[in-house]
Amino acid sequence: MAVLLAAFLGIAACSGDPGASTGAAPADETSAASTPQKGGEITVLEDSAFAGSWPTGLDPATNTTGGANIAMMGAIYGGLFLLTANDDGGDAKVTPNQAESYELLDGGKTVKIKLRQGITFSDGTAFDAEAVVFNLKRNLGATCTCTPKWPLVKDGIGVEGGDTVVLRFTRPYASVINAFPISNVNWIASPTALKQLGDDKFRVTPVGAGPFTVVSNQLSSELVLERNPQYFKDGLPYLDKLTFKSIGGDQAAYQALLAGQAHAYEGMNTVPLMEQAQSGGRLTVTMQPPTSPYVVQLNSKAAPFDDERARQAIYYATDFEAIAKGLFKDRFPVSQSFTAPGGLFHHDSVPGYRGHDLDRAKQLVQELGGLKVELGTLGNYVAKQVMIALQTQWQEAGITTTIKDYQLSTLVQQFNSGKWHAMLQTAGAWDPAAGVGVAFRFASTSPFSGVADKALDDMFAEAEGTVDPAERDAIYTKAGQYISDKAYAPFGLAFAPTNLTAKGVHGPGLTTRIPPLVVNSGVLWDEVWRSR
Amino acid sequence: MTAVTAGRHRGVGARLFASPSVRLVGNRLLMAIPITLGVSILTFWVLNLIPGNAAQQLLGADATPEQIRAMELQLGLDKPAPLRYLDWLGGAVTGDLGRSLVSGQSVAGQLGERLAVTGELVAMAFVVSLVLAVPVALLAAYRPNRLFDRLSMFVSVTGLSVANYVLALVLVLVFAVRFAVFPAIGFVPLSESVGGNLHSLVLPSAAIGIPMFCLYTRFLRGDLVDQMQGQDYVVTAQAKGVGPWRVLLRHAFRNSSFGLITVVGLNLSTLIGATVIIEQIFALPGLGQLMLQAINTRDMAVVQACVVVFAVVAVLANLLTDLLYAVLDPRIRYGSR
Repeated sequence: MAVLLAAFLGIAACSGDPGASTGAAPADETSAASTPQKGGEITVLEDSAFAGSWPTGLDPATNTTGGANIAMMGAIYGGLFLLTANDDGGDAKVTPNQAESYELLDGGKTVKIKLRQGITFSDGTAFDAEAVVFNLKRNLGATCTCTPKWPLVKDGIGVEGGDTVVLRFTRPYASVINAFPISNVNWIASPTALKQLGDDKFRVTPVGAGPFTVVSNQLSSELVLERNPQYFKDGLPYLDKLTFKSIGGDQAAYQALLAGQAHAYEGMNTVPLMEQAQSGGRLTVTMQPPTSPYVVQLNSKAAPFDDERARQAIYYATDFEAIAKGLFKDRFPVSQSFTAPGGLFHHDSVPGYRGHDLDRAKQLVQELGGLKVELGTLGNYVAKQVMIALQTQWQEAGITTTIKDYQLSTLVQQFNSGKWHAMLQTAGAWDPAAGVGVAFRFASTSPFSGVADKALDDMFAEAEGTVDPAERDAIYTKAGQYISDKAYAPFGLAFAPTNLTAKGVHGPGLTTRIPPLVVNSGVLWDEVWRSR
Repeated sequence: MTAVTAGRHRGVGARLFASPSVRLVGNRLLMAIPITLGVSILTFWVLNLIPGNAAQQLLGADATPEQIRAMELQLGLDKPAPLRYLDWLGGAVTGDLGRSLVSGQSVAGQLGERLAVTGELVAMAFVVSLVLAVPVALLAAYRPNRLFDRLSMFVSVTGLSVANYVLALVLVLVFAVRFAVFPAIGFVPLSESVGGNLHSLVLPSAAIGIPMFCLYTRFLRGDLVDQMQGQDYVVTAQAKGVGPWRVLLRHAFRNSSFGLITVVGLNLSTLIGATVIIEQIFALPGLGQLMLQAINTRDMAVVQACVVVFAVVAVLANLLTDLLYAVLDPRIRYGSR
């Protein structure tokens, strides 16, 4: 059996096309990369456990998994705003797309969004302020967790002229624009098509003003799109056809790419496969800039971590640098706060951060008369590896650790029970105030937080409402320092998923780096092209 | 209608209902009702025991308790479980399998779309396994313990030791990645291209069919050797000067096929179960993929419907097995004294 398998795998290992690139792109590929070509089609694979699952359809108001389905939603609807970046992921910023510009007024309490003129939905109807307001109101009432929680005044969404949408908030909400690309309010559906098709049909064959229109949609299985001839950007999209297919995991996707059956796979997180893909040279491997570091959440509301010494012991017993080096060959940076190098307001270190100090950890554990900890995580490859490593490290300090790998539902139950000790999770977002941001893991009001500290809540609220980026940076730096000083939760590996693409496929966010929004990056599908 | 004609009709009807085979079919179909009911109750009960529900699964880890409660109300999950089951059952007995809790689409429509894919996959796997197993087992049993027999034994044991998802990945590596002769993923509908359709199902059906082939080969070969070496009728036939191939094919194989049919019938549910994983790996839009997604989202209506379809198929497969016994051996007359 083993001999047969080894023989098969041996054949596969030697299966590289001798003519294919094994590292740097060949000269013709490099020159082709600079000149986008029009036409062609690509098939993109998405993991059935996350982005490849769209069971409720693709209507922004009813797609409860919209955060995971950013790829499909972006291809169909485009978006009022997009997160763009340099090819290396630097200088990332939210830029108007179907919106033309925006203004923050009254210290961040009023936002005016001016729309581009002349955009139409793919059904030919006008993409105007009325349509946008209709969608905003509809989407804000949606059940998707990607629905933003806007502190709107009564009737706080209005129209000014025919092309400007006005949002009025009860308090300064300066981070609202940064939150657009990761929320369902960014995707504007055709009100006419919605009325004509009805909710049930619209969710399967939605109509937007994005670069592609729906040809067929088998939920959570296959979505076939074709070029939108009425797309508002001249000469775009480059591709004639774009197909998304759901596939059962990294291994199957990797093999399908090698077999030439698909052209891209978003969000690979199995590190050995990433390495194999990189060394194989047959695929383009693009690791996205990390925005959300892992954090060991400690439940400071209950024993044993209501005692600061126990939390400090965990800090001192934890050596994320060793984990990053030993398990992941320094592939991922290590953070000391809730930001990561790909996100806003990141700083490499926090003054006074408690690093690995085994003697100090042992001493604290002895003072406490021993420490028993239950550590859990929502399993994926990286999380499980890190959890096992932490158990080993903590054991050296005399901390007895039981590890548990939770399913989503049991994880939620654990958090809601309040009886959990420690959870290995990710924290933060590209903008800490947007999406599943820092407050999700640290605010008093979040059911998924182990911290109840008014001072920290106030800092988050202040940062969220502050217009000036430098001032926001200062507030978030202070919050990071505060978390470190109080030993609320040690931060660690800043993991980011990787895209695999076939040679000859190019596109922003696919083969260039754009900070991830919700796990995956927001690929700019209209600019994706394929050399022939 | 004359009295003579009516009498003749009554005679045909009476004979038909008196037929043991018809009674067997009728009895088995009647038995399918409590079986299906039992399976649906069990499925519903088990799914209710699993933590979380469709609302929680759909909204994810980031959802607040308020959001989950709102979604539960929207999906009707606030009703007690027995009431939800009875609602479903009431619809199902009238042919209405309801709508998916998650997508709002008709469950019957979803099943219709995907049943053909899984049906074809299972049929091809079934054909692959049997078409290969019978000749290999015959050749192995013809000269036991010789090179071919030992080779077939090695292959069978190897195939039985490999999980079908591992086999699937190896098949893709070799035949899709290395030699590029078959596609690694995807499905071409029969209506689009017959050749393309068969081509797209070769690797998935092989991944399911090869372990079955190994099982059937081992079983049939063992039974054939046993028949050839120890049975009186074989000795009698040989004494009459019947050639070894003729004895093997006409006599021993006929007897051994009963056992094979039983094993094949019993394995059909394993075959169907394998589709759940294989459809994921090959990105096939079949019933297995649908059921897995429905389990993940706790979409009770869809899971129930899939399970009922699988249960009915299993019952029908067992019925077919019993009928095949009667076809192969005229001495078997069900219900006769």
